[in-house]
Amino acid sequence: MSRSRFAPAALSAPALLTMGAVLLVPLVSVAVLSFRGFDFDKGILPVWSLANYAELANDGLFHEVMARTFRIATIVTVLCIAVGVPEAIIIHRMAPRWRGLMLLVVVGPLLVSVVVRTFGWMVLLGTNGLINQGLDWIGVPGTPFRLMYTELAIILGLVHVMVPLVVLAVWASLGRLDPALARAAESLGAGRVAVFRRVVLPNIMPGILAGALMVFCLSASAFATPQMLGGRRLKVAASMTYTEFLNTLNWPLGAAVAVLLLLAILAATLLWTGLVERRALRRLGVG
Amino acid sequence: MAAPGFPAGDFLVLDGVARHYGTVAAVRDVSVRVAQGEFLGLLGPSGCGKTTTLQMIAGFETPSAGTIRLEGRDLAAIPANRRNIGLVFQSYALFPHMTVAENVAFGLEMRRIPKPERTERVRRALDLVHLSHLAGRFPRQMSGGQQQRVALARALVIEPRLLLLDEPLSNLDAKLREEMQVELREVQKRVGVTTILVTHDQNEAMALCDRVAVMQAGSIVQIDEPWRAYDAPADAFVADFLGRSNRLPVRAAKGMAQVGGHAFALPEPLAQARGEITLAIRPERLRIRAAQEAGLPGRVHSRVFLGGFWLVRVDTAAGDMMVMVQNTGTPPAAEGEAVTLDWDPHSLRRMDAAAPEPIQGPIQAPVAAPARGAA
Ligand SMILES: Nc1ncnc2c1ncn2[C@@H]1O[C@H](COP(=O)(O)OP(=O)(O)OP(=O)(O)O)[C@@H](O)[C@H]1O
Ligand SMILES: [Mg+2]
Repeated sequence: MSRSRFAPAALSAPALLTMGAVLLVPLVSVAVLSFRGFDFDKGILPVWSLANYAELANDGLFHEVMARTFRIATIVTVLCIAVGVPEAIIIHRMAPRWRGLMLLVVVGPLLVSVVVRTFGWMVLLGTNGLINQGLDWIGVPGTPFRLMYTELAIILGLVHVMVPLVVLAVWASLGRLDPALARAAESLGAGRVAVFRRVVLPNIMPGILAGALMVFCLSASAFATPQMLGGRRLKVAASMTYTEFLNTLNWPLGAAVAVLLLLAILAATLLWTGLVERRALRRLGVG
Repeated sequence: MAAPGFPAGDFLVLDGVARHYGTVAAVRDVSVRVAQGEFLGLLGPSGCGKTTTLQMIAGFETPSAGTIRLEGRDLAAIPANRRNIGLVFQSYALFPHMTVAENVAFGLEMRRIPKPERTERVRRALDLVHLSHLAGRFPRQMSGGQQQRVALARALVIEPRLLLLDEPLSNLDAKLREEMQVELREVQKRVGVTTILVTHDQNEAMALCDRVAVMQAGSIVQIDEPWRAYDAPADAFVADFLGRSNRLPVRAAKGMAQVGGHAFALPEPLAQARGEITLAIRPERLRIRAAQEAGLPGRVHSRVFLGGFWLVRVDTAAGDMMVMVQNTGTPPAAEGEAVTLDWDPHSLRRMDAAAPEPIQGPIQAPVAAPARGAA
């Protein structure tokens, strides 16, 4: 009895220890760092203080950056759902031989390095980029538009990367959906809209919610895409941390930004799972 | 309810219906007339096209050829959700995110039935299948038999013109299946809805249905009352599919037949037969007699006790014969004992259309259908 009781703990210990080492240690170090002082001449001061947090609390730029980060993450999430859910459903309905190909096309962006992919967007969105050239060519007045270094650019770049995540999450839940359910609903008199709204949608909701959560977290903590498409002025939380660490060299302040970003994402996640996802899952008997 | 303009027996008419998938013919040629209120069994081995036929009636598959008429109206132009046909899937297809009551109410909601009437009809439908006390449960919290009854209630509550059941009992264990058969039959009679039951279990079809249609490779081979199809099968396939059957290869001449040194007179319908012919006889129509009596001599190979009767296998010059002997309290001839087999010639059926092999032991459908219990 005692053996079987301790076996799970013993068996998962190596993995737990490894995870703890690679995840917890850096996190704790960052958290500890965020309570240290900083001096431009002396560097990191071995003191304990809340000075960094106090500074951020009164820093209008930080507020702006946090607001922008979560605004972008929210918009990206909404857009990814709006694009990804229909996309997954349409591909799911395709003939099998097209299905595999289209899924590959959808997952494609994940196979290309973020930097390369984002560079592609820079080429498209630049003042002399393809989009402005195209608009100019068809005679749209007011060209060139400023597309680079805008929130729009960041959002476009992020949606492009994140949509596959939603498609894959919804794809998985569509696969678990018994096709007979839709037919049963139809035989009971449901039209296409009713079948989707009353039967398909509730059953793929866990996939949609999981996809939304992933997209939100990854967008809120995204670094490369906002850094490249937002430029120096349009900072998000991750790029602000980066600047504090590498440009200003104020590591404790950067650590405080990182900690606050982490806490904010954590809070949003808990809120989401607590309020929305649990209810949806309980209804389906998954959670 | 019956609309004018079509004969009473032509409530549902399938005429030359076929369905091809590329070069594969799932359904080749199905023609059948179903009377109002009738309980028709659609029976056949796995892959013979039963589900496809049902799906075409329900509107989820389009026939490649032929027409389907319900109450005189061609269904071709009517989408599935307008046909008012109740359908119970093999997998039940209950909505997992809805309670039992919500599942049953779904069809009424789609018909915009006002809430009070809806509640009342759901209650009555659940009463009908004895599930009122579980109205608030989710499907995953129910047994297979209970889920099956929910599916039935959900299909019945919309008062469909036609009820289609696709192997609704195949997931249940033997005892529950028998109970559900009785229940299904009762409910169908009480509601009076015209019903088609798909099954590959010949016992189920014979126990439940007014008529059975036996399908083979996409076509209907025979439609008859169960007892008639059993006693006068159209061909060897039907004979073997509906229960067991022994083969008697005989030499016929001048109204007499000879097999293994035993000669007997052929009854009227068979009297004209000449030469080598194959006759079939059901195991319960054979009688075991003492060795010296007139008949086909043989030796008992084995005997199996099955409660109500014994199943005795007798080796004869004409091959192995299965004999079903009623259990009257004394065991029949023991293994190794010499016996003769005797029969009423009227029980013989001519069976020349090339049957693959004489059937021995539990019946095996030609296309691997799972073996079922004794007939
Ligand atoms: N979508 C499809 N594409 C190609 N062939 C199909 C398709 N659906 C069915 N078939 C074929 O058509 C034949 C009839 O199938 P159907 O499902 O109607 O059989 P069934 O009698 O219901 O069998 P079972 O008792 O196993 O349910 C089978 O040989 C099957 O392989
Ligand atoms: Mg089937």
